Amino acid sequence: MEVANTARLDALLKRGELIESVSEMTPDYLRELKHTLVVSGDTELISAPAYYLAAKKAPSVNAFMTGIAIIQDELAHAHIAYHILEELGESQEALIFKRDPKAFRYPYAFDVPLESWTELVVANAMYDQAGFCLLGDIHEQCSYGPWKRGLVKVMAEENFHLRNGRNWCKRISQAGGAAREELQRAVDWMFPLTVEWFGLPDDLKQHSAQLDYRLKGLTNDQLRQQWLATVVPFMESIGIRVPAHREGDAFTLDYPFPCTFDAELKHWDVGDPCSWDAVMARWRARGPRNAEMVALFQESFSTFQVRA
Amino acid sequence: MPINLVDLGLVYGVEVGEGTVRLRLTFTAMGCPATEMIMDDIRTRLLAEPGIDDVQIDVVWDPPWTSSRLTQEGREGLRAWGLSV
Repeated sequence: MEVANTARLDALLKRGELIESVSEMTPDYLRELKHTLVVSGDTELISAPAYYLAAKKAPSVNAFMTGIAIIQDELAHAHIAYHILEELGESQEALIFKRDPKAFRYPYAFDVPLESWTELVVANAMYDQAGFCLLGDIHEQCSYGPWKRGLVKVMAEENFHLRNGRNWCKRISQAGGAAREELQRAVDWMFPLTVEWFGLPDDLKQHSAQLDYRLKGLTNDQLRQQWLATVVPFMESIGIRVPAHREGDAFTLDYPFPCTFDAELKHWDVGDPCSWDAVMARWRARGPRNAEMVALFQESFSTFQVRA
Repeated sequence: MPINLVDLGLVYGVEVGEGTVRLRLTFTAMGCPATEMIMDDIRTRLLAEPGIDDVQIDVVWDPPWTSSRLTQEGREGLRAWGLSV
């Protein structure tokens, strides 16, 4: 049975057709799809408390409303991923409210506290740009029809987040003085965190089932380059330094990648290159705000449950 | 959103004076999260016009915006974007 399914799935994928139901999937494809959806849903979900804790520092009522609207979008985007997971047989309730904080699969960057409006808008300009690259690739390439279609509106809304980030970064840079120095400090620690967001370099990642199954179309390094190609010129255009430069067709980092990061001090030790094993260990241990953020949406869940 | 502010029915009036544009503008909701972004766009665009060096925007809420203020182009644009109007 499974052999026939594998052959049929391969044929569908080769023809560039979309998969529409579980009956067309192999168990391997289903597992990879679910894993990819969990990472996407978790990333959108955790951005809500991460952004909320910083949006409270908004400099005006209008700015706060924009921050809150972005958080609302992120929750809706998370819902799309979890809803699809439910259709694939997972429990949304268990995924969102009953998992251990360390079991969530989102980029480590969100575990490092965003503590000011400046850090929030840098996140909109850099983290949301990373999400835009990753989701844009899935939107273009994904072989699972329901997710591909669900992402049309997600992409449109993410554009709004990027604009908020870029407009504010530009405004803060133009303000100069202490405001601009704070912006530069935020970019200094957040830029390398977003660079590592895209994962292992291609030469260390031997094989990607996500690419085989056309759940995404671009490799980690291709996506990283795409991000660098948007963020580096933008930051330079507003007079903010970033540790990367263009060399021919590609961008090169001006620091050892990877290197050691102190999350409490928000400091990269560029004099201390480290292994990817060390990075993976840091990711697995999660960062300072993991438990606090998960508690924000989990702690009241059982309060109003009607018990049978 | 692939639709301009005029087709969205947000511009209630425009007065052009000596180097000045005065605009009466509303939003689709009082809680619109994009108000500053939209007003920045308007200022940037109008200041790019030759001879314009001052843009004044009066935000007004009366009459309140409803979807009946959309132009036909605006209606089609929103439908194409996935909103039912």
